[in-house]
Amino acid sequence: MSGPEPRQMAFDLPALDAYGRDDFFASPANRLALATVENWANWPDGRLLLTGPAGSGKTHLAHIWAAETGATIVPGAGLAAARLDALVAAGDVAVEDAEAVARDPADQTALFHLLNLTAAQGRRVLLTSAISPRDWGLGLPDLLSRVQAMQAARLDAPDDALLSAVLVKLFADRQLVVPETLIPYLLARMERSVEAARDLVAALDAQSLASRKPVSRAMAAKLLDKADDPAEY
Amino acid sequence: MVSPQRRQKRTVVDKNEMPNDTWGKARDELRQTVGKNNFVTWIEPLKLSSLANGVARFEVPTTFFGDWVSRNYSDHIRHQLANHGSPVDRLEFAVTRNAATRPNGTSLEPAETRPAAPARAASNNDDLPGAPLDARFTFDSFVVGKPNELAHAAARRVAEGGPVTFNPLFLYGGVGLGKTHLMHAIAHELQARRPELRVLYLSAEQFMYRFVQALRDRQIMDFKGLFRSVDVLMVDDVQFIAGKDSTQDEFFHTFNALVDQNKQIVISADRAPGEIKDLEERIKSRLQCGLVVDLHPTDYELRLGILQQKAEFYRQQYRDLKLADGVLEFLAHRITTNVRVLEGALTRLFAFASLVGREITLELTQDCLADILRASDRKVTVEEIQRKVAEHYNVRLSDLIGPKRLRSIARPRQIAMYLAKQLTPRSLPEIGRRFGGRDHTTIMHGVRKIEELMATDSQLADDLQMLKRLLQG
Repeated sequence: MSGPEPRQMAFDLPALDAYGRDDFFASPANRLALATVENWANWPDGRLLLTGPAGSGKTHLAHIWAAETGATIVPGAGLAAARLDALVAAGDVAVEDAEAVARDPADQTALFHLLNLTAAQGRRVLLTSAISPRDWGLGLPDLLSRVQAMQAARLDAPDDALLSAVLVKLFADRQLVVPETLIPYLLARMERSVEAARDLVAALDAQSLASRKPVSRAMAAKLLDKADDPAEY
Repeated sequence: MVSPQRRQKRTVVDKNEMPNDTWGKARDELRQTVGKNNFVTWIEPLKLSSLANGVARFEVPTTFFGDWVSRNYSDHIRHQLANHGSPVDRLEFAVTRNAATRPNGTSLEPAETRPAAPARAASNNDDLPGAPLDARFTFDSFVVGKPNELAHAAARRVAEGGPVTFNPLFLYGGVGLGKTHLMHAIAHELQARRPELRVLYLSAEQFMYRFVQALRDRQIMDFKGLFRSVDVLMVDDVQFIAGKDSTQDEFFHTFNALVDQNKQIVISADRAPGEIKDLEERIKSRLQCGLVVDLHPTDYELRLGILQQKAEFYRQQYRDLKLADGVLEFLAHRITTNVRVLEGALTRLFAFASLVGREITLELTQDCLADILRASDRKVTVEEIQRKVAEHYNVRLSDLIGPKRLRSIARPRQIAMYLAKQLTPRSLPEIGRRFGGRDHTTIMHGVRKIEELMATDSQLADDLQMLKRLLQG
């Protein structure tokens, strides 16, 4: 081809995430957390804290649980603005990214009251967080001790099996057909996190759209080369 | 009791000195030796009624008061009396006769027998807007140790439901030391012993919420009527109303109305009344005029006692679970700040062990409770891994990274590669670069080699576990 390659503008439309139980890929990194969430009827005091790095499946598990229990999912940031009594009256509650309450004393107090309210009314609570409560930076010791006393389940950083599944799912979400051998190829060369997988697949999608070529190993090699220190190879 | 007549001859009171002068001097010394708080609470209210025949008689407001002083301060008091020329063999405490609070002949001692049938739950309290009580928070499940024995004794006393002797009972202490537990226990006990009493337990934030709601709905008279109709009012975490002016105001009036009717009030807070910021002075002083009791931080024995009791409970709930020796001691030693976290830790352990169907060992404990046992979730770097592995296998770091292919170096190098892949999200080419510019296939080979060996070599598996813990420590 001569001259500049024709390029198509690519919009990074967020792919729809499927959050059903059947869409959850169980691997050793998350099997225990999944089992704990599914055992919700036996959570001590009806509470669970789910921690794990970005992309490890916290939101997915929260949705699985909410679908089973009819729980309402609310974000931790801005919790003070929520009508707590109405929320608890409606049923069980999941607070996503609960560590965000630490940024605002009013949100911390709201989470504290939420825990007391749910306990008083026999509701269950699921908190999700990327980091452990010790590192949230809570200024309300009464809240910290309550969260630390909660049953906790940890989602580990993805192992190879999980990361392969994530890659396959990410390509499928974007309706990209890729050669089978591409997955192990990427796995051996990429940073091993779900975030990195997301970025990589998005970049390959954009590249493929722009160059009007299917995603291939050569395309991936070029991309990984660019992202990496050129001294590597 | 020794008859006073028999000891007539041994009068030790100097004729020129009134007993109360001796007591006055002894008291001044006691202020130094028992500390200001204890002095104000326990020594100052003592009235010396006679000092003769080797016996010092004191008037005290209540039997409980006398018991407590006798158990905790009698040595101090006798010592100081002796220092001021009035040695005594014995202290006696009599409840002030003109105390109008007690009908004659009624014993203040706890009734030993409980009502045979459990009280109809909150029968008399249906209209009260209280918070539900946690059925687990009873006196039976409260583990008493030195740091909390006074609070426990005072709570027991209130729970007898007898005449009001100190008002309010103010319990304070750090987070998770048992304030709420004691308050619930009082309510449970009162419901069982005196079902006719109207007992209202609620948190300060609920008090505020009710008050604001009553204001909004123009039902403030109902609110006042309701709160002033109770026999026992218990308000948890009173520090929450600090700075909320109209709520404080209403609280103050409710408080006074109940005290005037001689109704018992129990208050808790995370600190002493005088130290609650933005609390009105008049409320502070009101809160201080009863019995102010501090729940001290736990000591090792108390923590172990709490764990043992809780573990016994769980053993019945999870019958197949085994708890290894030393786990409770380890927890009592490591989780020192907070009983809620301590109990939560044990709850978490049993729930986790039951889920995975394994014995609760020290190893499982460290795994399950990493977030509270460890100081931080450290992000491990490839360099740290290399350093620790080199140290552990006693090889030079330069050799570990360098090109030598001796087996004694190659194996530790593969272990470091394996750990780098396990504990960091670095890409394999990146890890290769940090191992002297090796190819990512070399890293893959090393990782696979270790995975194979681990399956058969238990020494290696142990080493890896140990190194992992060391690195994530």
